[in-house]
Amino acid sequence: MSKNKFINTWSKRFSFRGLSIQQRLPLLICILLCSVILSFSFASYYGVKKASLEMGKKRVRSLTDQLGTMLSESSKAMNTSTLAVVQKDTVKKYVQSRGTEFRSETLEMLNKLRKDSTWCLVELLDLSKTPILRSGDEKVEAKLSLDTIFSSLTVGPDSCKAGKIYVIGDSMYYPVVATVTDKKQIIGYLVTWRSLSSTPKGLEQLSQLMGTGATLYIGNTGGSFWTNLIKPVPSPPIDTQHIQNIFEYTNQGGKRVIAAVQPITNTQWWVLVELSEQTILETSTSFLHWISIIGGILIAVGIFIAWLMSRNITRPLHKLTEAASAIAGGNYSSLVEVDRSDELGKLARAFNIMAVQVRNAQQDMEGKIIERTAELETANKELESFSYSVSHDLRAPLRAVNGYAQMLHEDYGTKLDEEGKRIIETIRNNAIKMGTLIDELLAFSQLGRKEVQRTKINMNELVESVLIDMDKSFAHKAEIKIGKLHQMEADYGLLRQVMLNLISNALKYSSKKEHPIIEIFSEEKQGEIVFSVKDNGAGFDMKYYDKLFGVFQRLHKQNEFVGLGVGLAIVQRVITKHAGKVWAEGKVNEGATFNFSLTIT
Amino acid sequence: MNYQVEILLVEDSMSDAELTIRALKKNNLANKLVHLEDGQEALDFIFAEGNYSHRKITDTPKVILLDLKMPKINGIEVLQRIKSDERTKKTPVIVLTSSKEDPDIQECYRLGANSYVVKPVQFEKFLTAVSELGLFWMLINQPPQ
Repeated sequence: MSKNKFINTWSKRFSFRGLSIQQRLPLLICILLCSVILSFSFASYYGVKKASLEMGKKRVRSLTDQLGTMLSESSKAMNTSTLAVVQKDTVKKYVQSRGTEFRSETLEMLNKLRKDSTWCLVELLDLSKTPILRSGDEKVEAKLSLDTIFSSLTVGPDSCKAGKIYVIGDSMYYPVVATVTDKKQIIGYLVTWRSLSSTPKGLEQLSQLMGTGATLYIGNTGGSFWTNLIKPVPSPPIDTQHIQNIFEYTNQGGKRVIAAVQPITNTQWWVLVELSEQTILETSTSFLHWISIIGGILIAVGIFIAWLMSRNITRPLHKLTEAASAIAGGNYSSLVEVDRSDELGKLARAFNIMAVQVRNAQQDMEGKIIERTAELETANKELESFSYSVSHDLRAPLRAVNGYAQMLHEDYGTKLDEEGKRIIETIRNNAIKMGTLIDELLAFSQLGRKEVQRTKINMNELVESVLIDMDKSFAHKAEIKIGKLHQMEADYGLLRQVMLNLISNALKYSSKKEHPIIEIFSEEKQGEIVFSVKDNGAGFDMKYYDKLFGVFQRLHKQNEFVGLGVGLAIVQRVITKHAGKVWAEGKVNEGATFNFSLTIT
Repeated sequence: MNYQVEILLVEDSMSDAELTIRALKKNNLANKLVHLEDGQEALDFIFAEGNYSHRKITDTPKVILLDLKMPKINGIEVLQRIKSDERTKKTPVIVLTSSKEDPDIQECYRLGANSYVVKPVQFEKFLTAVSELGLFWMLINQPPQ
C-alpha cells in the first residue's frame, strides 16, 4: 500500500500535466538533445580514446624498436674499436709471452682505449681470467668478482660483448668483454669497464628525440635491474616472459603509462620506453572538451528554437482562448486575427466563422425574445384589462339582482308568504356567492402576474402566524402538530397563501371528525425539501385525483363542505411559480396529505 | 330654488344609482342630492359650464360620490380635473368602486381622492369615510325640509 502511494506521488510530481504546452516542447527538445548529444559524445570520446591508445601503443613499440636498434648499433661500434685492440699481434704476443718487450706497447693501447672519462678501467686477462695488465682505476674491479661477470656472459672467439650493469658504490658500471684469439683459440680476455651515467642535459636531448611524454629506461636482460640512466630505479611491473607485449601500468610517479621492451643485441640489456597515457589521450580529452562545449551550445540553441516554436503555437492558442472567453462572457464581437495558413490558422478561421454564426444566432434570438416578450406583454395587458372589465361588468348586474331582491324584501316583504321570502333569500345568496367567485377568480388571475420575490423564510414562524389568523376566523377543535420545519427561500406572501389554503382545507375537511388531528412537517429528499400537511378528515377518492388542483373543481358537495375550488389551484400555481411540485395522497373518510417540494437554493 | 348641493352622485348605472340613493335616503342623507350620469355632465356641473353655465362655480357640492367606470369621460379623469383646479380641489371626493381589489383605487388616492366606498354603498363604510372628512355632522344634522 505505502509503496503504491509512494509511486503515485512520485509519478504525480513528475507528471507533465502540470506543465503548459509552451514549457513541454522545450523540455522535450532539451531531453532529446541531451540524450542524443551525450550518447554521441561518449561514443565518439570512447572511439577517439581507443584509437589514441592504439596509436600510442604503436608509437611506443616503434620508439622502443628504434632505440633498441640505435643502442645496439652504438654498442656494435664500441665493440669494433675494442676488437681492433685485441686483434693486434702485440697484444696477442704479450698475452702469450707476457714478456716485457710487448708490455709497454700493449699498455699504451689499453690507455688509448680509455678515450673519455666514462672508460674507467681496461684489463687484460689470461685464460684463467687472472689480470695480467690493467689501465685505469683498479678500485672498480676490486668490488666485483670477475667470476660473476663471466658466469652470465659467454663470449666466443674473436668477438666482443657488453655485460650486465652493476652498481658499485653510487655509480653504475658495465663491462665490455672481448676475447684475445690466436689461431681460433681463445688465449685471453680484454675487459673494459665503463660507468653508466648520463647528464640531465643529455637525457633531455634524448627525451626531445623521443617526443613528449616518453621516458627511457635501460635494464639488464631478465628485468632484474633497471635504471633511468641517472640512478637505479625499481623494476617496472612488466611480464618478463612476454616482453613483446605492450604493458599498461601505473609507474612510480603515479602516472598511467603504456610501455614496450626491446632487447639490445650484442648486449645483455633491455631498453624500455614508457609513454604517459595523459599525453596519448590529450587528443581525446580535448575532443571531449570541445564536444561538451559544442553540445552545450547545441542544447541552448535547441531549447531557444523550441521555445520560439512552442510560443508560435501557443500564442494563437492564447488568442483563441481569449476570444472564446470573451464570447463565453457575452462579448460576441471578439474575433481572432489570422495571419497563418497552418492548422492553427485553419482553427482560428473556423473559430471566427463559428463566432460570427453564434453572434448572428444570438442577435436573432435576442430579436425574437424581444418580439415575443412584447407580444406576451401585450397579451398579458389585454388579459388584465379583460379580467378587470369582466369583474366590473359581471358585478354590476349582480349588484342589481342582489339590491333589487333586497328592495323587494324590504318594501314588499309584508305582502309575501314564507315561500316568497325564501325565494328572495335564495336569489340574494346566489348573487353574493357569485360575487365571491368573481373576487376569487380575480385574485387567482392576479396571482399569475405577481413576480416571485425570494427571501429567507422561517417556516415555523410562518405557520404559527397562519394559525393565529385561522383561529380568529375559523372555529375548530383540531389538534395541530407542527414538526421542526426546514427554512426556505421563497416569496413570503405567496408561500403564506399556500400554507393558509392547505391548513384551512385540512381544518375544513376534518371538522366533522370527532377528534381531528392535523400534522405539519417537512423533510429533505434528494436536494429538495418536501412540506406536508396531513389530516384525518374526509379525504378524497384517488380516482378523481386529476380534478384536485383544477380551478373551480370540487370533490365535495356544497352542503357537505363550503368552498369554491380555488384554494388548491392557487397552491399549485404558487408552487409551480417557485419551480416546485405539488402532489397529494388521500383515502375517503381516512384523511388526506398534501405535499409540495421546493429545491434548496 | 337656489340651494347648495350637498351630495353630487356621478353614476352611469341607473340601478346602482337607485340603490345608492335608497341607501342614502334611509339614513336621511339624500335631501340635497344631484345625480348625474356621465363624466362630462359632472364636469359641466362642477365647473358651471355648458348646460350648467347658470350655476356659480363657488357653489361647490359638500361631497362628491364618483363612480370610476363611466362612458365618455371616466371617473379618474373627472377626479384629476377636480383635484388639479384650485377652485375645486378642496371638495371631498369619495370614489365608488365595484371591488376593494380594484387597482384603480391606488391611482385615485394618488390623484387626491379622499376615500372610497364599495358598491352597493355600504353604510358603515360610507359613514366612516364621511366622518373622516369632517362632513359627518354637516350631513347628519341636516334638518329635514
